[in-house]
Amino acid sequence: MLQPDLLRLQTEGPVLVKSCAENGPTGSTQERRQREAEAGEPFTFTPQLIRLHRDHELFEDGDVHRHMYLQDLYITEADDDKPALSVSEFACHISGCSAVFSTLDEYEHHYNSLHRHVCCSCRRSLPSARLLDIHIQEWHDSLFTILAQRQDMYQCLVDGCGQKFRTSKHRKDHLIRIHKYPPDFRFDKNKKDGGRETRRQQQKDSAMEAADDVCESEGVCEVMCDVPSNQPEHGESMETHVSEEEADRTFKSALTEEDADLSAVAHDTRNTSTDPPKPRYSYRVPPTVCFGHGSVRGFRGRRGRRK
Amino acid sequence: MWRLNKVHHKASKQGDSLEELRLKRREHEKALRQARRDRQLVSKRLLLNEDEDQPEPTMDTNTAEQDMVTLFHNLQHSGPEREAHLKALSKALRDPSAQLTFIKKENSMHLLVSLLTGSNATCRLQAVRCLHELSHSPHNNVAPACLPATPYLLTYLSGQSTKFTELCLYTLGNLFPDSDVVKDKLVAQGIIPALANCIENQRHNLAVVEAVGFTLSQLLQVKDAAEKIIPTVLASSIPSHLLSVLTPDPKFGLAPAIECAWCLHYLTCSIEDNRVLLAHRAMLQCSSLLVSLGGAVASGNKEEGMELLIFPLLRCVGNLLSFCPVEDLTTQVGDHHIVAALCALLEAYLQTQPALARESAWVLNNLTAYSSAFCSALLTLNLVPGLIQLLPFSQGINTMILRVLANIAHNRKEFCVQLANLGLLSALCATLKMADQEMVTLSMDVLFMLVVSGPQVAEEFVRHGGLSVLEATQYNSEGEIRQRATYLLKTLEENISCS
Repeated sequence: MLQPDLLRLQTEGPVLVKSCAENGPTGSTQERRQREAEAGEPFTFTPQLIRLHRDHELFEDGDVHRHMYLQDLYITEADDDKPALSVSEFACHISGCSAVFSTLDEYEHHYNSLHRHVCCSCRRSLPSARLLDIHIQEWHDSLFTILAQRQDMYQCLVDGCGQKFRTSKHRKDHLIRIHKYPPDFRFDKNKKDGGRETRRQQQKDSAMEAADDVCESEGVCEVMCDVPSNQPEHGESMETHVSEEEADRTFKSALTEEDADLSAVAHDTRNTSTDPPKPRYSYRVPPTVCFGHGSVRGFRGRRGRRK
Repeated sequence: MWRLNKVHHKASKQGDSLEELRLKRREHEKALRQARRDRQLVSKRLLLNEDEDQPEPTMDTNTAEQDMVTLFHNLQHSGPEREAHLKALSKALRDPSAQLTFIKKENSMHLLVSLLTGSNATCRLQAVRCLHELSHSPHNNVAPACLPATPYLLTYLSGQSTKFTELCLYTLGNLFPDSDVVKDKLVAQGIIPALANCIENQRHNLAVVEAVGFTLSQLLQVKDAAEKIIPTVLASSIPSHLLSVLTPDPKFGLAPAIECAWCLHYLTCSIEDNRVLLAHRAMLQCSSLLVSLGGAVASGNKEEGMELLIFPLLRCVGNLLSFCPVEDLTTQVGDHHIVAALCALLEAYLQTQPALARESAWVLNNLTAYSSAFCSALLTLNLVPGLIQLLPFSQGINTMILRVLANIAHNRKEFCVQLANLGLLSALCATLKMADQEMVTLSMDVLFMLVVSGPQVAEEFVRHGGLSVLEATQYNSEGEIRQRATYLLKTLEENISCS
């Protein structure tokens, strides 16, 4: 029976014996699922026998342990300060974001706050799917603009309220009066102001394809956010961008805060947005999947109207 | 285990606080690590006198040197006090400076050799004790000075006096690392057959077996061992003797087995062709022993120092597996309980010896790479949930375990469904978010195998919120990962819409 060809042994890194699937014994070939790599499948895993040479780094700890014993330095487990067993960290791999977390929860919070509901068109990050929808509708939908001239189109941002208003100012008044939103919360950002502000801010999150134009249509896109006073001041529009350190600070304090008992909108205290970045990556986001359309909805039926 | 006990006493007797001891130990460990990276990791052993239990120099350097000079002078005249002088000399030679001074003295070695080969048995013993102290010297110019004595040390290996033979062996073992000249000479003088005979004739004398094991392990670690030494060793009767001593004797302890196991490790890992050892049923022996050790550990009998034996056994099995054709696997490895033993070792040593856990996982990888039987065994023996729980741990543990799970998934579609039912999908949703890009890539590969195994798996993945994880991964900074995410999403879309 043919022995598998041995690749040149290296002393560093796993030494891999060529997988003998091709000239494997016939007996087990029938058992094994033959997965030939089909054209276009980017997955590269194949089972491999790993042979480790004497000087391989994987053997380092055991060798040191052995020699400590030979040199009369062995210590019993009880006396030993145990070598630290480390747990993998989690990291946000979105291009441009290099945040690292020690728990999955921290990662999830970061991701959900910063990357989840992002508008495809202008790269702004919204705290929830509903607000993302409203944003897209009010900022990027020309049909909305037309209809808004004749009927009440601006929805109250509080989920379940259902009321609609002719202008964004009316809506803002309603939010303050009826839903008791803090009056010093700056709603009055129309899109032109918002655009200027975002241009001043840092470039962040260049993972998504750049949109060069800032939204032109009227209307204010805002979200309620009960920002505690100890958080750094930034534009209260939810698209406001914060620097990474500020983000970390707010992130950490966000973790310890209690949720505001306002609407669901106010839960996320993170206000971030992404600037329209200079395109640094040449790959294209497939049109079928886009955060801006609501990521989880991408599969349940595509909204055709914005295409 | 006599050595372990001695160290334990040392810790309490010296009055060093535990913290100081730990500090010293850590320093030393760092030095050893660096030595290994420089490929300079060598050790010597000092066999203590009966009246000693601590390897400490008993006098200061100046006294030692003075004593040595006086004693040497006295020794040149024969007389009834010779034995006492020799004994005192051996104590003086514990000191490194005294060692240097001694070898510089004219005729010093000549005198020692004549006492070593003389008619007085006690003097012989003391003379070899002196040589042993010299062999333990930190100065590497001392070893070549001992060359005149080596043929006699070799000859005495076939003798019957335990203590004497032990001293000869440890002395020889200490001399190897220091000088190629010494090593070449000893090989030419026939050390390999001498060791073979010694272990054969003295195999019931476990102290001597331990000493032979040590000496052989030193020889096997020299730089050109693979070309010059190992083929000869493999051709001799040494492998079968090593294997016959592997099972530890409950009364004597683990020490002889430890030495022999490390010898076997050096044999398997230094060369590529392990035919000889497989023919000796080395893998069967090692894996049976691992099974009993794993069983002991699983039932709470974790003996002190056991890991010193487990490390080399794991390595032997791991490397022999990489050479063994898959159809011979079951005959060579034995029944499938080895996988249970490996999982038990993984869990038992995870906190205290993570490297051991990692090496166990490596062996599991080699077992499962091509064998349906072993993949199936992991599932049948319900070991997979335990493995999944180890996926958070880094330093190479989780990547190796994920490879094992990937092997199982790759082996059969039916295994994929079982893996999914055991919770692998939600585990992968977490591993996809890890910082280690290798974990992320491997997770995607495993995920692909799972979701294409059947629509129910694909649907379950979606239920676990997998889609949003993949969507996020589409924006990963690594192109290869983005590619996989996109492809996976496409595949899922097809699978779900078809069902």
